[in-house]
Amino acid sequence: MSATTTVETAAASRPARLRSARQTLRPNRSLRAGVLLLASVLVLSLVGVLALDDPNHQVLADAFAKPGARGHLLGADPLGRDVLAWCARGVWTSLEVSLAVATLAAVFGTAVGVVAGYFGGPLDALLMRLVDLSLAIPPLLLFVSLSVVLSPSRVTLILLLALVAWIPYARVVRTRILAERERPYVAAGRLAGTPDRQICIRHLVPAASTAILVLLTLQLGYVLLWEAGLSFLGLGLQPPNVSLGYMVAQGRDYLADAWWVTTIPGLVIVTLMLSFNLIGDGLRDLFQDDVAVGGADGR
Amino acid sequence: MRRRHPLAHLIAVRLLQSVVVWFGALIVCFVLAAAAGDPADVQTAGQLGSTPERVRALRDQLGYGDPFLQRLGHFVAHASHGDFGTSFQSSQSAFDIVMRALPSTLLLVGCALTIALASGVGLALVSVLRRERVADRAIRRFLAVAQGIPDFWLATMLVLLFSVTLQMLPSIGFDGPDGLVLPTIALAVPLLPPFVRLARGSLLDVMKLDFITSLRGKGLSERDIVVQHALRNALPPLVTFAALQVGWLIGGTIIVESIFAWPGIGNLVVEAVRARDVAVVKAVVAVVAISYIVLNLAADVLTALLDPRIRVARA
Repeated sequence: MSATTTVETAAASRPARLRSARQTLRPNRSLRAGVLLLASVLVLSLVGVLALDDPNHQVLADAFAKPGARGHLLGADPLGRDVLAWCARGVWTSLEVSLAVATLAAVFGTAVGVVAGYFGGPLDALLMRLVDLSLAIPPLLLFVSLSVVLSPSRVTLILLLALVAWIPYARVVRTRILAERERPYVAAGRLAGTPDRQICIRHLVPAASTAILVLLTLQLGYVLLWEAGLSFLGLGLQPPNVSLGYMVAQGRDYLADAWWVTTIPGLVIVTLMLSFNLIGDGLRDLFQDDVAVGGADGR
Repeated sequence: MRRRHPLAHLIAVRLLQSVVVWFGALIVCFVLAAAAGDPADVQTAGQLGSTPERVRALRDQLGYGDPFLQRLGHFVAHASHGDFGTSFQSSQSAFDIVMRALPSTLLLVGCALTIALASGVGLALVSVLRRERVADRAIRRFLAVAQGIPDFWLATMLVLLFSVTLQMLPSIGFDGPDGLVLPTIALAVPLLPPFVRLARGSLLDVMKLDFITSLRGKGLSERDIVVQHALRNALPPLVTFAALQVGWLIGGTIIVESIFAWPGIGNLVVEAVRARDVAVVKAVVAVVAISYIVLNLAADVLTALLDPRIRVARA
């Protein structure tokens, strides 16, 4: 009898839950604005990638073409590459790198955080010292100094960024697990003979999932900035990779004659970054989960 | 048993942790050097008359022929005395080169931090006094955008506006206070959002306390309460954060310095990386790490001095 009642309530509450989700989302203007902004950038850049020429195609006769010139809606750079085509492709490069780094970092960082928080002991102590160390060397300095050793390629860049990016996840997840493992249901699970691994994966990781999601969204933006910054310095992605930061650097010496080469890709970065921040802030409000107070960029 | 002095205890614990971090930073430096390959090969590559014998002689001279662990011990011993080897570009001590560049970076960081702190607290005060009104919303919207502006783009836009178009300020170099304006702004703006957010949150926390209610009961104006009473109590977290930011900025000025050709350590490290001058890179990483550690320690002690509750709770 009681079982049927539970099933009925669950069935009845599903549309109610959907409705309440919609109601929660409605006042969350930050989340909506962010998603809308990101979606429009993505659609526009997808159209750009499909409709326009190869961004690496150089037409030297068109070098420094002004915005609105024939065939170059947003102008051309000093080597005659189309700025619009470059930006459209650059958005996707940025996203590929950011997503790869953030996913790698989230998976590895969560695993370390769970193990450190649940088992404690020497691993936990080691982790906390690593966190201290990562604070002592700013990420950009670490990236720049490690590029003494590494040759720039997309894969090394992703691994390099992930080297720093996992730490906030480990820190946040560890704190969550420390609080969560004292709850009665974990003790009950242990008494019932549930293996530690299953408790961690099935019960503790989901408990930290909203925090991880918020962190991930905010971090996408910072990883994007790191990549653009490194490429700007000439230590990140180089052609034939299409990086927004690289194009900003291309226009640096020609600011007086060709402002568009620097300004436009920079605006694209600002827009992407803004959309990630809006989504992250929105998710944070939605889950009432104040994780990433200066956590996502490692500060 | 005699009760230990709480502040002394706090300092002792933090010192011990600092030693661990310092050692970690040295290992990072060492791995960097080890992975960069044999400096004897790098330095003699393409040189006229670089015979295998001369390469081997240079390698022995640099200590790269020894076993790995011996090299690590050697490196840590030397690094503790500020010896990171010689820059092969200028044949000077790498540590001396870094220390010569440090003051200009500190000047830039100091200016940026002062401006960010002053305007950050100012904006937070306005935001709290006009909570949920037009000014507060405008400030928060501005911060959301400012958070996403890449420093390299902001810097080039400032150059475009003030140097190229208006021709008011120099775009590069270190001569006179004029040259300081643009790099300071480029460095300070990205700092504003975290400062305002922290100051605002801290102020709002203080505003919930009982003594604020009693001040309201006394009939004080909201403005006097916030500026004269709440602000002082909201400052300690900001002090800690600001001190951490200094350590952060010393290594974080890389991009701004290289855009404005500022003769600080950020510019130095980029040049050293381009030239593959590992000794200088190692020295920069170590100096940044140690300044972070010292500032962190100072911030902890300062916070404890400002707020007796922390002093007691931690001891």
